[in-house]
Amino acid sequence: MSIYMTKQETAAANAIVTDDMFLTTDMPTTAGSKMLEGYNSLFEAEVLTRLKAAGYAVAGKTKVGEFGADLLGETCYFGAEYEGEALQYPAALAVKSGDAKAAVVLDVNGAPRRGAAQSGLTALKPTYGRVSRYGTIPVACSGETVSVVANNAADCREVFNAMAGHDSKDGTALPDSMTDAGKAAVTKKNKVVVLSSMLKGTNEEVQAKIAAVTDNFTKNGFEVVVADADTVAYAGAAWNILMSAELCNNVSRYDGVKYGYRTSNYTNIDELYTNSRTEAFGEFLKSAILFGSETLSTENYKKVYDKALRVRRVIRDNMVALLADCDALLMPAVSTMAYGKEMVENDKYLPYKENFFTAPASITGLPVVVAGGVQLVGNAFSEDLLLDLAELV
Amino acid sequence: MEREVLRRLCLLNQLSLTDTQKDDVISFFADRDADTATLDAIDTENVERMVHVMPVLTVVREDKASQPFSREDLQAGAPETDEGYWCVPRVLE
Amino acid sequence: MKYETVIGLEVHVELATESKIFCSCSAHSFGADPNSHVCPACCGMPGMLPVVNRRVVDFGMKAGMMLNCDINRVTTFDKKSYYYPDLPGAYQTTQWFAPVAVNGRVDIETSAGKKSVRIKQIHMEEDAGKLVHDISEGTTHVDFNRTSVPLIEIVSQPDLSNAEEVEAYLIRLRTLLRYAKVAECEMAHGTMRCDVNLSVRPEGSDVLGVRTEMKNMNSIEAIKRAIEYETARHIDAIENGTEVLVQETRRWDDAKGKSYAMRSKETAGDYRYFPDPNVMPVVIDDEWFNTIKASVPEFPEVKREKYIAMGLTEYDAERISESIMLCECFEEASEACGNPKEVVNWITSDVMRILNAKQMTYEMLNLDNKAFGKLIALTMDGKISRANSKKILSAMFDDRTIEPESYAEANDMLIGEQNDELILGIVKKVVESDPKSVNDFKNGKEKALMALFGKCMKELKGNCDPQQLKVILLECING
Repeated sequence: MSIYMTKQETAAANAIVTDDMFLTTDMPTTAGSKMLEGYNSLFEAEVLTRLKAAGYAVAGKTKVGEFGADLLGETCYFGAEYEGEALQYPAALAVKSGDAKAAVVLDVNGAPRRGAAQSGLTALKPTYGRVSRYGTIPVACSGETVSVVANNAADCREVFNAMAGHDSKDGTALPDSMTDAGKAAVTKKNKVVVLSSMLKGTNEEVQAKIAAVTDNFTKNGFEVVVADADTVAYAGAAWNILMSAELCNNVSRYDGVKYGYRTSNYTNIDELYTNSRTEAFGEFLKSAILFGSETLSTENYKKVYDKALRVRRVIRDNMVALLADCDALLMPAVSTMAYGKEMVENDKYLPYKENFFTAPASITGLPVVVAGGVQLVGNAFSEDLLLDLAELV
Repeated sequence: MEREVLRRLCLLNQLSLTDTQKDDVISFFADRDADTATLDAIDTENVERMVHVMPVLTVVREDKASQPFSREDLQAGAPETDEGYWCVPRVLE
Repeated sequence: MKYETVIGLEVHVELATESKIFCSCSAHSFGADPNSHVCPACCGMPGMLPVVNRRVVDFGMKAGMMLNCDINRVTTFDKKSYYYPDLPGAYQTTQWFAPVAVNGRVDIETSAGKKSVRIKQIHMEEDAGKLVHDISEGTTHVDFNRTSVPLIEIVSQPDLSNAEEVEAYLIRLRTLLRYAKVAECEMAHGTMRCDVNLSVRPEGSDVLGVRTEMKNMNSIEAIKRAIEYETARHIDAIENGTEVLVQETRRWDDAKGKSYAMRSKETAGDYRYFPDPNVMPVVIDDEWFNTIKASVPEFPEVKREKYIAMGLTEYDAERISESIMLCECFEEASEACGNPKEVVNWITSDVMRILNAKQMTYEMLNLDNKAFGKLIALTMDGKISRANSKKILSAMFDDRTIEPESYAEANDMLIGEQNDELILGIVKKVVESDPKSVNDFKNGKEKALMALFGKCMKELKGNCDPQQLKVILLECING
């Protein structure tokens, strides 16, 4: 089975791959869903246009889980990728195999970070708004971010710099003046804070990664302290609400009318809608849609959705306060260094639990690098500093 | 009760589930409800909601029209079109 | 038992912008080929992101100011979800939590006197597409040209109590929004649409009756008929128990003169509003607010009083102040020629005649008003004959760039002072060629002078001040 949806031959030295959440005009874009099988976009993702202009060539599109919301791609309609018993992240395999210098991927719910952590790669999820989302399949728009997975921090930095910057086609893209001011305000403190509340549920192997990274920082003259910061541990619960509601709304456009999959079994408009969606969406996605919808119901809005929006501010304030005198918050990216087939198949809702680790950066929009199998979450605009730290671990 | 909520949700989201899937989703909902309940531990009484994580305001564009896409291209992947229209089974009003 | 009707209106008005609210497709969808003003964003394809059209906010704010509203200086957009084939994304972006304008007031006048109608809010949102049901049987055809065309929805409090008040309110709204130049407000084009929320209760009761919502009225007359029908239906149900009233949405069939309950889904009304993460809050700073505030025109009654003070009759002042386009024409032309009374005569005669002949509404008036004023001045100064100035005005309707003096000159319509000799020459020629008329006149036949006058004017192609010609002609005849 291939890790690619489409593979293109390219002789270019600067080959990259992108995942199937990015719209392309020369290859179909499916978002891992039967709903969009063979879907051809009329326009291209802004980041790909920028990367091509900078001399990169797109060598192919890797598989993603349905609408990018799962662990690593296990819900992909076109097949999940296992190596032995271990679930694989296709974009990471493309980088590891040498097909590409880097993978440009959409971090909807942490999959790229889990993939990088488990395969020993470096990943950068930049500050929300630094990279244009124009031309990406929208899922959880308030937090999802175009990210890079590469062999090392240098490659991440190079590709990130080639694609970052304001885009007037994305209303959430940060103005360059804000970015410049934000970058200028970043100062190195030589201190890293380990969030003890985020170690919950991790196995020994993961804890060993944390210890190893901690040691490296200490050796490099960093002060490493442990903080509780227990509000951060609520990010998963809050993010699950926001992500699901936004996902529900964003995938409601797929209804068998304008493009994409249409059922052959209908006699009226409701059957057309319901059967098209029921036949083309996977079970995990359906559950996410239903849960997301429920968080927005008249009865629940205030106590569920609105509550999550307020919790988001509490968490972000808490993290920003901690980051005022340190360079990064160190936390695991995963609970285990590999997801076994049985584990994945026995709990199809594992992404809703495993994103406990990735949700803090998703819900706050703060930048994060994955290196040495762990996450370093930094202040807004501190991508350069985080990549410097990544080189140390 | 849960089944009734689920039936309505399916109707609202144009989805249908098998009985097994329904049981599955009900237990998924129970987990999520438990998760959501934990948020009560965070006092948000005097906290404003945060929809956008970065403080960007007033992103507007000039009022200029353009038409870079053709109908033919837009309808190239359409399941059913006729005379330039997308088509659906007759909708009663 | 006497009853009173309680009516609140939701009026949707399409804003007269060039492009749609969140994408750059043309907003002029009326009469266009199906799906010719569509892009991936407004036909529900993934990947494009909404960026707010600034003019929509300008217009929303200005409409709010016209209706005496408070402007929300931070206004935000929200998503409203439901499935319907005219809604390509299965959501509409609208304003639920912080609409652009709130707490307004519209003053109306009916045979019963003056009344204020409270405005609950004005929100900005995107329009839905159009469904066509009569192309082929069994199929509905979908056109997304209108999708995402900017709308404002003006929600009134239930302060209206009969068809006459509703009519006065809608006409007033239309006048004010046209005054602000934010909308066409043409019900026949669908650029103004009205949903009527109506209930009936015993007079004096403070408990509201069962409320129904009526849609699909295409004219103010239809709205009045619908209100009268629906009021009678409610009273009949209450008094005679002919049917059980339920809260529902009804469709008005104007041809049949009846309203019908619309098929409604069990989940209708469950819209799951939430703030749109892709649209940043719009902050209206003082500079922006003041710019729009400064562009708010005087209200019709202020203009009317001003015109009366300028010497216009009440009748003329009322007629001109009916439309902002007439007001501007009148004010700018008056300034250019310095004679408001003369301008109003031209407007109420020539301008209205030409508009009528061209089947144009006042709102379509597109004259260069200053040039129009200059034309009037030239005519009053005797430099262009009245007959020729009508021709020039007609040409100015078709071509805004026409400058009257140079146009008259280029077309031999200018009466220059150096023409005195020319006039005398022509007069002499005419007098010599028609001794009979000269004699007849000398013998007391006044008509004979008119014949000579006409011949001269014809030779002069009308380029002559009639008074001047008459003087020269008389001098010539009398030696």
